[in-house]
Formats: sequence, C-alpha cells, structure tokens
Amino acid sequence: MSALALRLPQVGGRASWRALLPRLFALLLVVAGLVQFGQGLWIPVKAQVAQVLLDRSFSASMDAGAPLKPWPWADMQPVARITATRLDVSDVVLSGASGQAMAFGPTEVLDNGSVRILAAHRDTHFRFMRDLRVGDELVLQGINGVKHRYRVTHFQTVRWDGFAYPVSPDRELLALATCYPFDAVEPGPLRRVAWAELVE
Amino acid sequence: MTRQPEIRHRLSVGLSLLFAVVLACLLSASLVAREPEPDPAAGGGLMLRGKGVEEAMPAMRLGTDISAKISGQTARVTVTQAFRNTSDTWMEATYLYPLPEDGAVDSLRMVVGQRIFIGKIKTREEARETYEKAKAEGRKAGLVEQARANMFRNTIANVGPGETVLVQIEFQAPVRQLGGDYALRLPLVVGPRYVPPHTLSDGKAVADAQDVTAPLAHPKLGNGLNPVTITVELAPGFQPEGITSPYHKIMVQKMAGNSRMVTLAKGETPANRDFELRWSAPGKAPAFALFKQRFNGLDYVMAALTPPSAGPVGNVPPREMIFVIDNSGSMGGESIRAAKASLLYALGTLRPQDRFNIIRFDDTMTVLFEEAVPATPDQVDFAKRYTQGLDADGGTEMLPALEAALSDRRPHDATAIRQVIFLTDGNLSNEREMMEVLNSSLGRSRVFMVGIGSAPNNYLMNRMAETGRGTYTNISHDSEVDAEMRKLLDRLSAPVASDLKVSVDGTNVEFAPRVLPDLYAGEPLVLLARSKELKGKITVSGTLGGKAWSQTLRLQDASSSDAVARLWANRRIADLEAQRWANEIDDSVADAAIEELGLDFHIVTRRTSLIAEDDTPSRPEGATLTREELPLLLPAGWDFDALFNNQGVHDAKAAAEGQAELEQAMELPDTATGFVALLLRGLALLGLGFGSLAVLRRRRGKRA
Repeated sequence: MSALALRLPQVGGRASWRALLPRLFALLLVVAGLVQFGQGLWIPVKAQVAQVLLDRSFSASMDAGAPLKPWPWADMQPVARITATRLDVSDVVLSGASGQAMAFGPTEVLDNGSVRILAAHRDTHFRFMRDLRVGDELVLQGINGVKHRYRVTHFQTVRWDGFAYPVSPDRELLALATCYPFDAVEPGPLRRVAWAELVE
Repeated sequence: MTRQPEIRHRLSVGLSLLFAVVLACLLSASLVAREPEPDPAAGGGLMLRGKGVEEAMPAMRLGTDISAKISGQTARVTVTQAFRNTSDTWMEATYLYPLPEDGAVDSLRMVVGQRIFIGKIKTREEARETYEKAKAEGRKAGLVEQARANMFRNTIANVGPGETVLVQIEFQAPVRQLGGDYALRLPLVVGPRYVPPHTLSDGKAVADAQDVTAPLAHPKLGNGLNPVTITVELAPGFQPEGITSPYHKIMVQKMAGNSRMVTLAKGETPANRDFELRWSAPGKAPAFALFKQRFNGLDYVMAALTPPSAGPVGNVPPREMIFVIDNSGSMGGESIRAAKASLLYALGTLRPQDRFNIIRFDDTMTVLFEEAVPATPDQVDFAKRYTQGLDADGGTEMLPALEAALSDRRPHDATAIRQVIFLTDGNLSNEREMMEVLNSSLGRSRVFMVGIGSAPNNYLMNRMAETGRGTYTNISHDSEVDAEMRKLLDRLSAPVASDLKVSVDGTNVEFAPRVLPDLYAGEPLVLLARSKELKGKITVSGTLGGKAWSQTLRLQDASSSDAVARLWANRRIADLEAQRWANEIDDSVADAAIEELGLDFHIVTRRTSLIAEDDTPSRPEGATLTREELPLLLPAGWDFDALFNNQGVHDAKAAAEGQAELEQAMELPDTATGFVALLLRGLALLGLGFGSLAVLRRRRGKRA
C-alpha cells in the first residue's frame, strides 16, 4: 500500500487535485475492503478462540460447582455444554441471549424447567444444524456434571416472530434455533428450529 | 493534450459515483435484511394447536348402537357405545359425539362383563373429581359431560388389555314437525370446529376449545372406524306414510298396529353424517297435540299447534335480501357446491323491486356491494358470476360477517322486509359471541339459516334462526338444493303468524320458550309449561296475514307422556342460555339455575355430568394407564385438503401428536453473523480498489 501512495503526481494546483482524486477513491476502496475483510475474518476466529477459553472455564466451573467467568470483563457465564454425538461437535453454552454473548457461543434463551431453547449463529457454532437429522442424539451437560440426553424428533422452519413452544409438554424438550436458510449470505426473517425430546 | 485533464476529471467523477453506488448498495442491503416485513398472520401470545390428524388406527375401538323409540311427538333414544381395548396396556379413552341439541340425557349405565354400574348426576366439578379419583385408584369409571347443547364427551378409565366396556346413555328428544311431515334427526359425527384465535383469551377458553375438538381420522384409515347400527321403532299414533331416510338406505318392517321397525339396509354405517328419518301423517295433519306429565308434585304440559295456512298473498312487498355465504375450508367439497347452487337459485328468484347484497366469509370477508342494490338483471348477473367463482378455503370467522349482515342503512324503513339468509355449516366454537351480537343488533332484520352439509352445527343454526325470528332449513346434499330452497323461499314470501301470545285461564303458568317465535307457513308452535296444577284452557293468539287469529286447547284432552318434564327442563335451559346471551342475566345466575335444573331432573347440562364408577379396583397397582382420544371420521362430502390447508394444522408433527397443546409465542434472536457476506464485500471492495489503481497506473505509464 505504501508503494502505491508514493506515486502521487508531481503537478500542483487544481490539476494535481484532479489527478489525485481517482487514486484517492481507489485507495479508499482498498482500505474499506481490507476493513470489511478483516471484520469478516475476525468473527469466526473470535468464535473459535472464545470456545477454547470457554472450554477451560466450563471445566473450572464444573470443578468449582459454580459458574465462573471465562475472562474477567465477560458479562456472561458458561452454563452447559451441548454435544451432537453423531456429528462429533461440542460447544459451551452461555447464559443470556445478547448478541454479545452469541459471538462467543450458543446462548440459552429459555429454560422454564420443561423446555430449554438454545440459539446460536448458523455460520459459526450452529453450522452443524444443517447436518442434524431426526434421531440424532444431543447431550446437554450442566455445570453440575449431569448429562441430559435428548433425541431429535423433528424440525421446524418459522419466522422469527412466528415461533411458539408448548407450555406443558409431555416430556422435557430441547430446541436449537438458528437462522435459515443455512447458505444465505444476508440475515433474513426465517429461523430453523430442531426439536429434541428428553430420553429417560 | 488539452483533453487530458478533461478525461481525468470525468474518470474521477465516474469513480466517485461508482464508489457512492457501491456504498449505498452495501448499506441498503444490510438495512433491508435486518428489517423483515411484518407477517400479518403472525399473532402473539397464546395459540392453540389443532388436535390434528390421526394416521394410525387407535388402540381403543368403538362401536355404537342407537336404538330409538318414537311414540307420538317424542323419541326415547338409547345410545350404546362399546369401547374395546385392542392393546396390551390399560387404557383411558375419551370420545366426542353429537346428540340432537334439544335432547335431554338422563341416564347412564356402564356395563363391565356381567356387572352394571348406574350413573349418578353430579355437578360438573364433583363428577370430574369422582372420576379422577376412581381412575387413580384403578377402578373403572365412565363420565358423560356436555361440551355444547348438541355435543357430549364420554370418558372411560381403566379398560384392561383385550377388555370391552359398554357405556349406555339414554335421552329424550322431541320429534320435529312441519306441516303434516315429521322427522327425527340423529347426528352421528361432530364436524371439525374452527376455533377463532381471538377467543383463546385465557386458560378457561383454551380448555373449552379442547373440549369441542377431537383429532380427525386420516382418510387413508377408511370409513371402518366407529361404525354405527341404528334401529328405530316408530309408533307415531297414526298410520305413518312415506317413511324415508334421505342419507341412508333403510329397511322398514310392519309391526303390530300402526308401528314400524326401521333398520339400516346395510346393517351398519360409518359415523360420518347425520341420520334422518322422515314420515308423514295420512290426510289432513292434526291441528294440535297435547301431552302432560305429573313429576315431583308439579304438572308439566307440552303443546304443539300449527296455525292454519293463510292462502298465498297476491303481492309480496319489496324485500331487501342479504345473502351470507360461508366459503371457509370446512365447506370444501360437496358443501360449497350446494351452498353456491342454493345462492344461485335464490338470486334467480329476485325481482327488480327487491334489493340485495352478498357477503362471503372465511377468515376474511367480502361485502359485494357497498350497500344493498336493486336487483336489476345486470346486478343479478354480476352477483351470479361472483358466486360461481367462490372457492372454499380458510378459517370460519363468522362474527364479522354477521355484524356486516345486520348493519342496516334504513333501520326504520317499514315498506321493505329485510331478510338475512345464511348459507353455512356453522362449524365454529364461538356460538356465544354469535348469539350475543344477534341479540343486540337484530333490529328489523329476520335471520334465516340454511345449514349446509352432512354434519352441520344444528344447535347454532336453530338458536340463530329462533333469535333471528326466521327459520332453519338443512341442505345436506346438492340434490336437495332446488326443493329445499324453493320451500324456504316460499315460506319467506308467505304470511307469517306473529305477535303470538299464550295464556291459561285460571292458573299462573311458566311457559317455555319465554319469547314466542314468529311462525312461517306450516311451522308448529311448540310450547312447554309447568304449574302446580294445570287445568282449564290454553289460548294462543296472534296475527296471521294481518288478521287476528287464536286457538284454544282444553288441557283435559292431554294424553300422558313421561317425556314432558325433562323436555320442559331442557327447553328451560335453552331459555336461560338465551337470556344469558341477551345479557338479561349474569353468567353466575344462569349457571346456578342450569345446575339446579340438571340436578333436579337428572339430566346432563353444561353444569352437571353423569358419572358411573366401579367400587373395586381392576387395574393392578403399578400398571400404567395410557390415555387416548378417539379420532373422528371426516363428515361425508368434506374435502380433507381444503380443510387442512388452512384450518388448524400447519405442521406435520403437531398432527402426528394428536394432542392439542397450549403454546407460548416467543421471538427468536438474530442468529447469523453474516461474516461470509463481510468477507465477500471486503473482497469485492479490494478488487474494485486494486482494479482502478491498476487502470490509473497503466494510463500514467502510457502518458510517460
């Protein structure tokens, strides 16, 4: 970039500005491109790195028997670990559904005792949802170490404002929610929800 | 070289424009994506999932036998439901079934092997409690509850593997009379009801919606589920003629005296459409019938009398006719064809001096003309084309259509009669809302109900026709359209017996119905009354075709019948409901009065249920009990797809579960980082930037 910047025309006055302008715009484009690219790259990197740190803090939390912050300034805590057994994927789940927390891992958006709902980004932590099938096992391990096993029963595609969960299901339910379609580039109104039932 | 700066200037302007465009695109793309358009169909709060479609045969099989005994003007009907457990687990089963809306269920017997348990009447909550206790303790129990006046639910607990339990109920129902023609209608299936989402305001409303709905048997399971056998012993008190059943093939056998025995030609029938038996009296119809009963120290009387027909009127005054046609999903199939044919027939009879309008509704509504228009050939042709184009689809939101139909631009115009004609199956759950609106805004309009299809909601139809001071006609099949519509339209233009009053000399008598209806040609007035002691004469008076008319009956001529007291109680309950709808009495007052009647007369009401229980446990401790709600057949002629495209079931899993569930709406968070888009955009910008730099450099190189 410095090499480009040095080749400025050596003409003065209005003409020199005219000569300068196109190049300046081109440079701006390059800078903007680099910034966007960098931002884009930072998201998956952050998601990956955070999980490494969270993994450690989840283990520490399990040992301590109480949730511990993964890093001192974090405003969320690890609450569980979700594993899709067949796909061999595992993520540490965070409390609170803020966009902030979701950058680092799946977040728990609801736990009312009979229904638990986790949400995560389709292009990072919940990318595995596109490969999830009915019958797959999902394991949710709390920080008390207890593992709950669920079996995927069905999928649902809904609008973000058209979703509802059963108030008193016969069995405890776990729902994973992410954006849909999986390969869309821009965010959209549709969500994909995988429903799983607790296996005794 | 003077042109050089010019070119460069243009280039710079072009590049900056390009940059601005790219930036604008990027910005707007992200804006659009973040602000999804609101979905008009999405509602917040509580939702009810339909009970869906059952695709597997139920573990509990049901066979029903109906045996009716018609004597004179009343029928005593015994319904025996045999629940057979084909599974190897202990079962609890619940079954939703219809009965005539004017029937009074007064007896329950549960038969297990050789043992018979007699049902007792209790308040709804007490009966429920008794049932739950027996169920928990492993004892057999049978419960009969009323969901609507024409809709009941039997629930039975602890049926062992391979075991059969019989539940037998009995009810009393009046025979319908029109001119010299008589009919008994026995509904066999509850048509799937549409539950308007706005009515699900609280837990109680949701429980009520659960009560009036049942899972539907998938058509692929065939019509073999829930077969019914029917036997009718007909002893009308005269030599019956023209015994027919319009929807089922029957066999008629002559018995002693004037009696006849009627059975189904095929032995049994699928429970998928109403059964109707019609017969007529020879010669001139008797002008009246009078029955009495002494019950618990009081006298009860039932009188049916028909005003004489007042010859045809020369000139029918101009009319304003509002046609309301239901094109919701439940009308799909035969029903919408029959409804359209009926409407086309009626449109064909309009005269230029009449005015008319058409309102069609499903979960949306269209009012064809802004206000009723003169029935000129052009307008009628237009309306006919519009009618022909109607398709059945969507939910049954009838309330707005009723409100629109009753909105009258000329409420005080006495020169024209205003008649509202509804063509619908009435398969909805908010009967009460409908009746409240009808009560408060009827005005000068008269409401005529045309019940379409094989299993219409006769309760709603009859109540609306009564409160709307009109009549109810049923059209179960396209083939009946012409005949029934002609009869209806004739009745609409014939003189009406109105301003009816009834009095008994000597004693003070409570009459039901409390508000006497207007009578259209051939319709009888059916009166029920009770008093400490009934004697003397009943006088009914009114105007008929503008002239005063009256008729007197001597009470000593009444013949005895043990059906009268319960029919009186049932009619009184209908009156209490009508008063509740008209906001004349409070909910609690109506409920208390209905409860008292239910307990006194040993009949099932919305407040009282019948419960029979075994006193010894049969289910071993530790054996689990599986609950099943028996699926119902789709009423004959209904279009499964039209119904399920839009009514209730959207999601295959919900259907498979076969259980209605209460749900809580929740918004889902944004779950796409869109980093790929960022990467792509970054790359695009980089490409553009480097590209233009390369172009500029080449240009410089050339100049140098």
